[in-house]
Amino acid sequence: MASEAEPHPLGMFKCQLCALTAPYSYVGQKPPDTQAVVLLEESYIMKDPFSSDKARFLILGSRCSVCSRLVCVDPECSLFYSKRVCLPCVQKNISAFPQEIQQDVEKRKGASKKHSNRP
Amino acid sequence: MPPPRTREGRDHRDRDHHRAPRKEEAPEKWDWNCPETRCLLEDVFFRDEDYIRRGSEECQKFWAFFERLQKYQHLKTSQKEKDPGQPKHGIAALADLPCTYDPRYRINLSILGPDTRGRHGPGKGLPPERVSEFRRALLHYLDFQQKQAFGRLAKLQRERAALPIAQYGNRILQTLKEHQVVVVAGDTGCGKSTQVPQYLLAAGFSHVACTQPRRIACISLAKRVGFESLSQYGSQVGYQIRFESTRSAATKIVFLTVGLLLRQIQCEPRLPQYQVLIVDEVHERHLHNDFLLGVLQRLLPQRPDLKVILMSATINISLFSSYFSHAPVVQVPGRLFPITVVYQPQEAEQSASKSEKLDPRPFLRVLEAIDNKYPPEERGDLLVFLSGMAEISTVLDAAQAYATLTQRWVVLPLHSALSVADQDKVFDVAPAGVRKCILSTNIAETSVTIDGIRFVVDSGKVKEMSYDPQAKLQRLQEFWISQASAEQRKGRAGRTGPGVCYRLYAESDYDAFAPYPVPEIRRVALDALVLQMKSMSVGDPRTFPFIEPPPAASVETAILYLQDQGALDSSEALTPIGSLLAQLPVDVVIGKMMILGSMFSLAEPVLTIAAALSVQSPFTRSAQSNLDCATARRPLESDQGDPFTLFNVFNAWVQVKSERSGNSRKWCRRRGVEEHRLYEMANLRRQFKELLEDHGLLRGAQVVAPRDSYSRLQQRRERQTLHQLKRQHEEGGGRRRKVLRLQEDGCSSDEDHEGSASQRADSVDIQDVKFKLRHNLEQLQAAASSAQDLTRDQLALLKLVLGRGLYPQLAVPDAFNSGRKDSDQIFHTQAKQGTVLHPTCVFANSPEVLHTQGPEASGREGSQDGKDQMSCKHQLLAFVSLLETNKPYLVNCVRIPALQSLLLFSRSIDTNGDCSRLVADGWLELQLADSESAVRLLATSLRLRAHWESALDRQLAQQAQRRKLEQEEDPESPAVSPQEVAALSRELLQFMAAKVPYRLRRLTGLEAQNLYVGPQTITTAPSLPGLFGNSILSPHPTKGGYAVSDYLTYNCLTSDTDLYSDCLRSFWTCPHCGLHMPFTPLERIAHENTCPEAPSDGPGSEEAAPVPTQKTSALQRPYHCQP
Ligand SMILES: [Zn+2]
Ligand SMILES: [Zn+2]
Repeated sequence: MASEAEPHPLGMFKCQLCALTAPYSYVGQKPPDTQAVVLLEESYIMKDPFSSDKARFLILGSRCSVCSRLVCVDPECSLFYSKRVCLPCVQKNISAFPQEIQQDVEKRKGASKKHSNRP
Repeated sequence: MPPPRTREGRDHRDRDHHRAPRKEEAPEKWDWNCPETRCLLEDVFFRDEDYIRRGSEECQKFWAFFERLQKYQHLKTSQKEKDPGQPKHGIAALADLPCTYDPRYRINLSILGPDTRGRHGPGKGLPPERVSEFRRALLHYLDFQQKQAFGRLAKLQRERAALPIAQYGNRILQTLKEHQVVVVAGDTGCGKSTQVPQYLLAAGFSHVACTQPRRIACISLAKRVGFESLSQYGSQVGYQIRFESTRSAATKIVFLTVGLLLRQIQCEPRLPQYQVLIVDEVHERHLHNDFLLGVLQRLLPQRPDLKVILMSATINISLFSSYFSHAPVVQVPGRLFPITVVYQPQEAEQSASKSEKLDPRPFLRVLEAIDNKYPPEERGDLLVFLSGMAEISTVLDAAQAYATLTQRWVVLPLHSALSVADQDKVFDVAPAGVRKCILSTNIAETSVTIDGIRFVVDSGKVKEMSYDPQAKLQRLQEFWISQASAEQRKGRAGRTGPGVCYRLYAESDYDAFAPYPVPEIRRVALDALVLQMKSMSVGDPRTFPFIEPPPAASVETAILYLQDQGALDSSEALTPIGSLLAQLPVDVVIGKMMILGSMFSLAEPVLTIAAALSVQSPFTRSAQSNLDCATARRPLESDQGDPFTLFNVFNAWVQVKSERSGNSRKWCRRRGVEEHRLYEMANLRRQFKELLEDHGLLRGAQVVAPRDSYSRLQQRRERQTLHQLKRQHEEGGGRRRKVLRLQEDGCSSDEDHEGSASQRADSVDIQDVKFKLRHNLEQLQAAASSAQDLTRDQLALLKLVLGRGLYPQLAVPDAFNSGRKDSDQIFHTQAKQGTVLHPTCVFANSPEVLHTQGPEASGREGSQDGKDQMSCKHQLLAFVSLLETNKPYLVNCVRIPALQSLLLFSRSIDTNGDCSRLVADGWLELQLADSESAVRLLATSLRLRAHWESALDRQLAQQAQRRKLEQEEDPESPAVSPQEVAALSRELLQFMAAKVPYRLRRLTGLEAQNLYVGPQTITTAPSLPGLFGNSILSPHPTKGGYAVSDYLTYNCLTSDTDLYSDCLRSFWTCPHCGLHMPFTPLERIAHENTCPEAPSDGPGSEEAAPVPTQKTSALQRPYHCQP
């Protein structure tokens, strides 16, 4: 009876790289409660917790299309370039990406080394 | 509203459509900033069913983003396009990556129905390149939004993981699995209040209650935990406070006040609705928290499946652990940087200075020392702990002078009497090179946490209410703090970095401090607690196993007080009114007022007064000395007493709100009224009203439907606008931190406020918006304007209701007051002599209304010296509280006629033989000139009291019955008919208006001790049947004389007058039956009351009609005076 007010969480999303954990309420490419937007990958989604608008959603992450790890959308964990690729896989296959992406990844590597203790 | 489209426009587009190859019409004229262009695009993309809706804040944000994007892309396109190097594909999964880089490929979402929209929809005339440009921007915007939201989420999770308590989550859960009670100890900032509930949620618990001592904390914690646990606010996580609840079927954890949980226990003693109970802030040792612990200690053996987590600061943990048979403790270390302690005891001579005022110099010396020792670039603010508001303003003045001189400090006060806006200033940031100096009461010890504090000054003092059960008096006294408080204060300096704590006392003083603060149960009146204990049937309050027992004297006083108030009977059992009072979470006197008022259809005014008396005074201190404010306020003052002044202020304010809303802030400022308090009153009033409705004492509000559909629509529109304003305010994050001005004037000088208010003139008054959303202004206004039409009679009844509610809190004016200066007027209560009026009291400026010889009051034979004067104008003050600071003050007084009030309210009335001398409650003596009228008044009061009591009892009994049967509406006739109430009111008013001259005097201690003749060996039954109606007289066992009712004792007073005076007879002829014989005055009245021939003059009421059944032969026989 309460479900109409609140999409019931389907489970917990947990990024296999950074361990970020959050409840998700939908997996797929068509976010519920809105007809206006579709997703280009199978995503784990929750209702945007920072908005009072019911239709607003937040994409938490999806599976890496190379290694199928579940990863979050944090730029430290994965990137999207027509498909989701986790950062370790990007680094292993860096030459497969256009220069712009390569530069980006380089920059990020430098920056995150300075102040980060993530795995 | 769609943008206006002219006919020509449509024709134009139609033509366009017909020309098959669409011609680019003046593309150079395309302007993204043109409002109409934007409108057209919004029509297509921002419809109601779209992700962004036109007119929303989101829509505005998008356009702002759009402009930035355009600028950025302009820069980009002016750079040379790079030739993309052909990527080499390694593995199959990445074989289909697009070769040519386009930022669009980095976006993982897409907007639906892209081109189908443009063709036939409203925007079909839009050039497709523009549409796709727009779509691309929109896509980037959505992506940006996702990144932003995800960034916030990630940050939130990181912060949670970094809290000290994060390492202990599993241990707490594990310990809870093995034990029924766990104590979690950790200091403020370790995260226990927000995290422990979430650990429970994550572990799968679903019936969790978390109690908080303060209502505010329930709301903010529910919001915070709901937010952090990423559940939507209002579903999994909710709060429940008096009359406000976000609880639903989906709620797994609810934050609620201790008081509310106790009420739930009252309904369901075994608390079946909960699996886990978190009791937060147990170390604060609030009265109700201590009681709850006692209740839980008893409940736990009966509910072995119930888990309890006690959360505490690291203060006296072993006390809680051992109270629950040595429950395990999980101690979470705080996150404190090292703090240097500097002891700076004040010189002996200085502290011994004669002035009562605090010496600000030691505080200034610390400011100087900081200026000398630490360069201004090294940031870090100062927090000064002072004992009270007066001390704060003393140091504020001095520190501000110093700040003006050095330009290195912004000085701000912080205490609970400040408005929220002023309190919020302490969170603002000081400009570079300047430090904040916050002068605070102990509110900043645990309740308010301010970041960036590096220095702390601890005066070592605190002002606390203490309760004197003997004098029934609250004292605001200054005490040394405890070692625990001193440590808390010190700790405030080390939250963001290493700090320094200056203690303005010696180390030896510190060693002599008590280890812990005195718990509330040891220093407050226990009336409400005892009442609640009675209604929860926890047994004798004297033997309840509290964690630390209250003083026995406080318990005894509370029981006596409740008996005086009529809430407990002589066997200490709850009376009907008592059990209702126990359900009303308000002060006993306030509750009584509401119950009494609702019977006389005075609910509306009584609600306002009850609310007004339950909040802090709305009159600002500074306005006290401000002549303009005093003048502006004068028309609102009532010479009936402070509750009526407050009543007028509230009503006038409601009128202002409904007439020219924006100006209420200004209206208040001009009159020296703190508007915040009026909002509190409005909220409380609404709560009280719902309470009365809940308890069947007030008919549910009739929904006043606006007459026509137009005004209904209008009303709905208004509410929509208000809701929108509120949402915007909330989404805007409310108040943002700002940089303080150097000359920030903390003590709210009016000019300053005027200035800042006019700056905000165009912005929304969010308080006003919330007020209008929460309250039905029309209803309030109706109540307020009907208040102006209160008749004299209604006003008199209202005073009667207040008087009976406040009884026995009465004070008698000193006999010599009329010869004294205004400021020297003194009053005596039963327990305390020589009290004075609070300076805010309306009588402080006009004490003459309390004197007996006013212009029209000089009695017939009134001696002009004022002492022992015969007058029918004697008055008493009924007061709400007696507060001792430097003097004992009467707070919130109403004047009431003395004789009649005492006859109607007193729990004990004793008379002499001819009833010309009466003593009320053993301390006030009334001497009436005329014995005959004395007896008549007594007889009438007996009858009225019985009638009033029975009406009240019937009403309460019906209400209790209705609640038991869970009946919502009762179509049956009310227990007390309107006619009966009207008759009773009429009689009461007649009684109050009686003009009988008398003397009023407070008995001396010696007189009070030798008041009664004592039990008589020869019981001389006075043959005066019918003297006091049908009462049967029986000898009083201790006082002597005869008990007429449970409060009236006839002829028990010792007297130095002629013992035989009551035997003097003179001939009299009864006008009704013609009986002619010698009578004493009493005999005559007795005959009149029972004469069979007398016309029944029971004024309008059935019961009150003379009952001719119990006529004994003695009536018709001549009386004999028995020796
Ligand atoms: Zn991750
Ligand atoms: Zn991968």
